[in-house]
This record gives sequence, structure tokens and C-alpha cells, in this order.
Amino acid sequence: MRRFIPRQFQILWFAGIFAAPVPALATQAHAAPEGIIGHQIAHAVFIVSMTILIYWLRERRLVEQPGWKHIQYAAFFFILWNLDAFFAHLIEEQLIWVEVENIDFWRRRIVARGGPDGIESIYYLLKMDHLLCVPAMLFLYSGLRRLQKTMPSESPEGKSR
Amino acid sequence: MSVSFFPIWFVDVFGSVLMIVLSIACLRITLQLRRRNESNLIWAYLLWVCLGLTGFAVSRSAGHILKQFLVAADQAAVWGRIRPYSGAVNTVMFMVVASITLFFERTWKIYQEILRDRQALQSTHAELIYLNQNLEDLIRERTQELTASEQKYRRIFEVSRDMILVATADGTILDVNPAGEAMLGYSGKGPSLAGRPMKSFVASSEELKAMQETIERDGFIANREVELKHRDGRKIRSLVSASLDTGRAGTQPIVHFLVRDIEQLRQIEEQITQADKLASIGELSAGIAHEINNPLGVILGYTQLLIRHEDNASEKYQDLKTIEKHVRSCKAIVGDLLHFARTSAPQEDRIKIDAAIDDVLDFVRQHADADQIEIFRDYSPSVPEMLLDEKKIKQVFMNLVMNALHAVGAQGRIAVSTEYEHGDTRVVIRIADNGYGIDEADLAKIFDPFFTTKPTGEGTGLGLSVSYGIIKNHGGDIAVESEKGAGTTFTITLPVLPPENEPGKDHGTIDPYR
Repeated sequence: MRRFIPRQFQILWFAGIFAAPVPALATQAHAAPEGIIGHQIAHAVFIVSMTILIYWLRERRLVEQPGWKHIQYAAFFFILWNLDAFFAHLIEEQLIWVEVENIDFWRRRIVARGGPDGIESIYYLLKMDHLLCVPAMLFLYSGLRRLQKTMPSESPEGKSR
Repeated sequence: MSVSFFPIWFVDVFGSVLMIVLSIACLRITLQLRRRNESNLIWAYLLWVCLGLTGFAVSRSAGHILKQFLVAADQAAVWGRIRPYSGAVNTVMFMVVASITLFFERTWKIYQEILRDRQALQSTHAELIYLNQNLEDLIRERTQELTASEQKYRRIFEVSRDMILVATADGTILDVNPAGEAMLGYSGKGPSLAGRPMKSFVASSEELKAMQETIERDGFIANREVELKHRDGRKIRSLVSASLDTGRAGTQPIVHFLVRDIEQLRQIEEQITQADKLASIGELSAGIAHEINNPLGVILGYTQLLIRHEDNASEKYQDLKTIEKHVRSCKAIVGDLLHFARTSAPQEDRIKIDAAIDDVLDFVRQHADADQIEIFRDYSPSVPEMLLDEKKIKQVFMNLVMNALHAVGAQGRIAVSTEYEHGDTRVVIRIADNGYGIDEADLAKIFDPFFTTKPTGEGTGLGLSVSYGIIKNHGGDIAVESEKGAGTTFTITLPVLPPENEPGKDHGTIDPYR
């Protein structure tokens, strides 16, 4: 089929759409909560995918090799981290059980607006999610390193089935 | 609740930096792995996972760091504009990594299949290279093995004393070994058996058909006695084993035959049976003849005594003469019986065999001339003098010639011949006639005592039995061939013994009755 619009105009048109969004009257309107809901769904899908990965790694007995074993641990920490992030987003942005106020640069006040007792402490701990995602990345790195060392020339397969 | 912000800030900033560093390190490793083997699907998979995670880490961590610094610099509004883009990128990267991860199992399966295919290809490739490099040697080696194998089995085929024959299922001969051709008289430069139908040498077409049906039904036959037909017409008894080779699909089934000539074996068995029969009859005859001979002698003596006192013209004299004649006839029969039964060794006379035959022929000449019977003589001049019992040998010739005279009737022909070549160990004497011949059924019994085809009173059935015994006693053989209506030939084979090997002395007398 013959091209009627030059490529340069097509690129500019797409760039314009992203850079200057305007209400598209012919399409569905996307209000603010979509962002957090989409993000939460992404967390949930990530949890599911990591769970499935662990299942297959064990099912295929790949975890008998050190490299895949560490990747399994990474997947486990990714699950914990996503749970952490999911609940942090839920408490702060969806249920709005807590509200954070600045006292000064190094101090904050966490005000409970709902939820169970001690929700402030839980929220405080949940905010330190890097304590889970950094170990996940460390395990992923060590797993890849081991795969690289144990299979220097060829395939990552081992006792698979 | 008032809390310190520092732990959160520290973990966030330091953790974000670590996330960026670690994700890039992971990406680097997967890139190295990928470079090492670009066709490895698992490395490609891990590379895409790390790309997603790196994208996510950079987007999120950079966003977090920026956020902390912008908030600290009281530029929260700026962060407010950046935040949606950072969050959106985070979400997209999350989904990318999650989506890729969901396909891990499928990727692994495909990779395993690729590995299996690759291994099979490598194995085939290695085999092809090996074959390519060693093809000539392998062919030479295989050819040598095949040649050796072919020579081995060809040798068995060639030197076998039994007939080995290969034929199609419908009986067309494909190949036959030299022993087979010799057995059936096709050896030498004459026509070969190959290409001919089996019915050309199996005596009975019904037998051949039955054999083919059995092979088709059971796949084999084992040790079946079959009568074959020699090229010269004579019958050969044989043991036939055969097996059907259906071969590969699409090829014509063939039959392998193994044929053993048992004609000689059967002849020997028949001779032994004949000898046993003669021995039994001989013993019986000897006993009876001895018992009858004495009373006959008394009757003859008293009859002759009475005759002596009678007038020649008297009726009583004639009656007594009749008694004397019949008693003499009885004595002659008894004498034959005793001849047949006695196992005395032949006397050794140095005689010329043609002279003995001539004596017999001269004796019967008057009878032959009367019936206008032609007698042809064809003696080999090289027949040497032989050590024989002249009287007994003449008796044999007399029996055979008299039988021939009786068979040819008036105006018949009798041919007597001898054959001998220098160096032979045997002399062959043939007495042939063109008489009415002998039934095939009677041929087997022709030498049996008391077997006769003559009317009652004309023959005792002992002549040929006695002849048979005499010839066997001389270490010879006697055989008969006859065709109904065409004539009969008796063939006598007698050994030519050197003087030091006189019969009955060095290696004993052959006793046909034992």
C-alpha cells in the first residue's frame, strides 16, 4: 500500500500526542486513579509471574544448580518486595489510612486516618522497601555470576526434564 | 506519630543507587553470556529480563533520588510534574519483566528442543564427516568382508557333495551347484540346468506339486524322499530338504533346496534285504531238500530195480518208466535247491570267459536254430583269463541264455557281449534279448527263489536265484534292466582278480546268503 504520510510527520504526530495530551472526546476518559490501579495491577502480575518462575525452576529441577537456585531466591525477594510496595501504595494512596506531614527535613509525622492500630509503624517499615528489592537484585546478580562460571562455554541446562 | 525520616531517606537513596548498580551489573553479565553464544535462547531470555529490570531500576531509583533532592531543595512542584512519567515507566517495566517471566517455561521447552535438535545435527554432522573422511576405507573394508563372505559361501556351494539348488517359488531353477548338475547328468559342456523348470528332473509331476504346496504352506520340507530323473532317463532316489526365503518386501520369494542322492544307499539296503531273504530261504530249502532227497533216492532205486525185471513191452514197464522220469525230475529240483542252499566256495579255474559263453551258446544252438533265433556275439578281445568256477559260471550263462530263448520265442534276437578295458578291475558281460520283457513290478522279485513267470511245471523259479548266488560268490554283481515289449538285458559284473587274490582264499568267499 502506498504511504500517504511521510515518516517524519508520523513521528512528530506521535510525539505530540504524548507531549501534549488533550481530551479525546471520541475515546474513554482516563481519570487519575487509573495510574495507581495500573501500577498495583503491575505489582500483582509481577508477584504472579515470580511465583510461576519459582514453580517452574523447582519443577524442572533447575534449582539443583547453584545459579538457578540463587535466581529462585531473587524471585522470592522480588515477591516480598512487591507485596511490600503493593501494601504501601494501598495504605498511602488508595485507602489513605495514613497521612505524612513534614516537621522538618529529618522528621516526619505520620497521622493515622483509618486502618488497624499501629498502621503508622507498619507504614514506616513498608516505606523501606529497598531492604527487600536490593537483596533480590543481589541474588539475581550472584545467580547470573554462578551461571556464567559453571557454564563457561555453553548452555545453562543441567538436570532438566 | 513523629518519626525520623533519615532511615527512610538513607535506605531509599542508598538502595536506589545499589539497584542501579546491581541491575547494570546483571545486564553486563547477561550481555557477556549472550555474546558468548548468541543462539542460546536462555541467555536471550535472561538478557531481556535484566533489560526490563535495569529499565525499571534506573527509572524508579533515579526518580527516587531526584525526588529526595528536589523535595530537599523545595522543588516539590517540579517533582510533581516528573512523577507521573517515572511512575508510568515503572509500571511498564514491571509489566515487561512480568510478561517475559511468564514465558520462562515455554522458552525453556523450546530451548531444550533446540538443544536436542542441535545435538542430533551435530551427531549426524560428525558421522557425515567421519563417513566422508573414511568412505573409501570403509567401502574397501566392507567390500573385502563381502568378498570373503561370498567366497566362503560360494566355496560351500561349489564343493558340496550334495545338490544345492535355488529356484523360484513356481519351480524355475535359478542356480544349481556342480554336484547337482553331476547328479542329474548335466555337468560338463552340455546344457545347464539353470533356467529350466524343476519338473524336467523330478520324476513325478504330482510329487513336485505336492512338494511346492507343502513349501508354500509350511515354508519348508525336511528329508522328503523324492525320485529324480537323470538326463539319461534313469531314476534316482533322493532326500530333499527345502526352505522358502521370502526375502525383502517387494522381492520375489525363492526356495533353497538341499538334495542328497540316496540311490546307492537304497540299493545297498535292498541288496541286504535280498541277501537276508535268500539266506532265510536257503536255510529252509537246505533242510527240506535234504529230507526229500533221501526218500527220492530210495524210490528211484527201487523203481529201477523193478524196471530191470520187467519186459520192455509190458504196460507195467511203461508205468515204472513214468515213475522213474518224474522221480528224476523231482531229484533235479531238489538238486537245484541244494545248489541254491549250499555255500560252498567256487573252485578256481583259470578260464577265458568268452570260451565259456561259447560253450553254452553252442549247446543251445540247435534249439535256437530250430526257432530261427539269431544270436550275436561281441566279445572284447582284451578280456584276460579269469579265476572262476567254470562249471558254475556256465550254469549261470545257461540259465540266462535259456531264459532269453524262452523270452524271444521264434525269430528273436539275442546279443551276448563282454566289455573290458586295460586297467579295469571288472569284466562286464551282457546278455540282451528283444523278448517280451519283464513287468516293472516283477523286476524287484526277479532274483527271489521260487519266483517265476512261467506256467506251472515249466520253471522252478530257482534259476535266477541260483545264478545270483553264484555271481555273488565270485565277488561279482548281476543286474537286470527290462522294458515291457522291448526286451531284457542282464548285466553281470565279475572282478578280475590277480592270481595271488584267489577267491575264497585271501579275503574269503562272498556268501550271498549271509
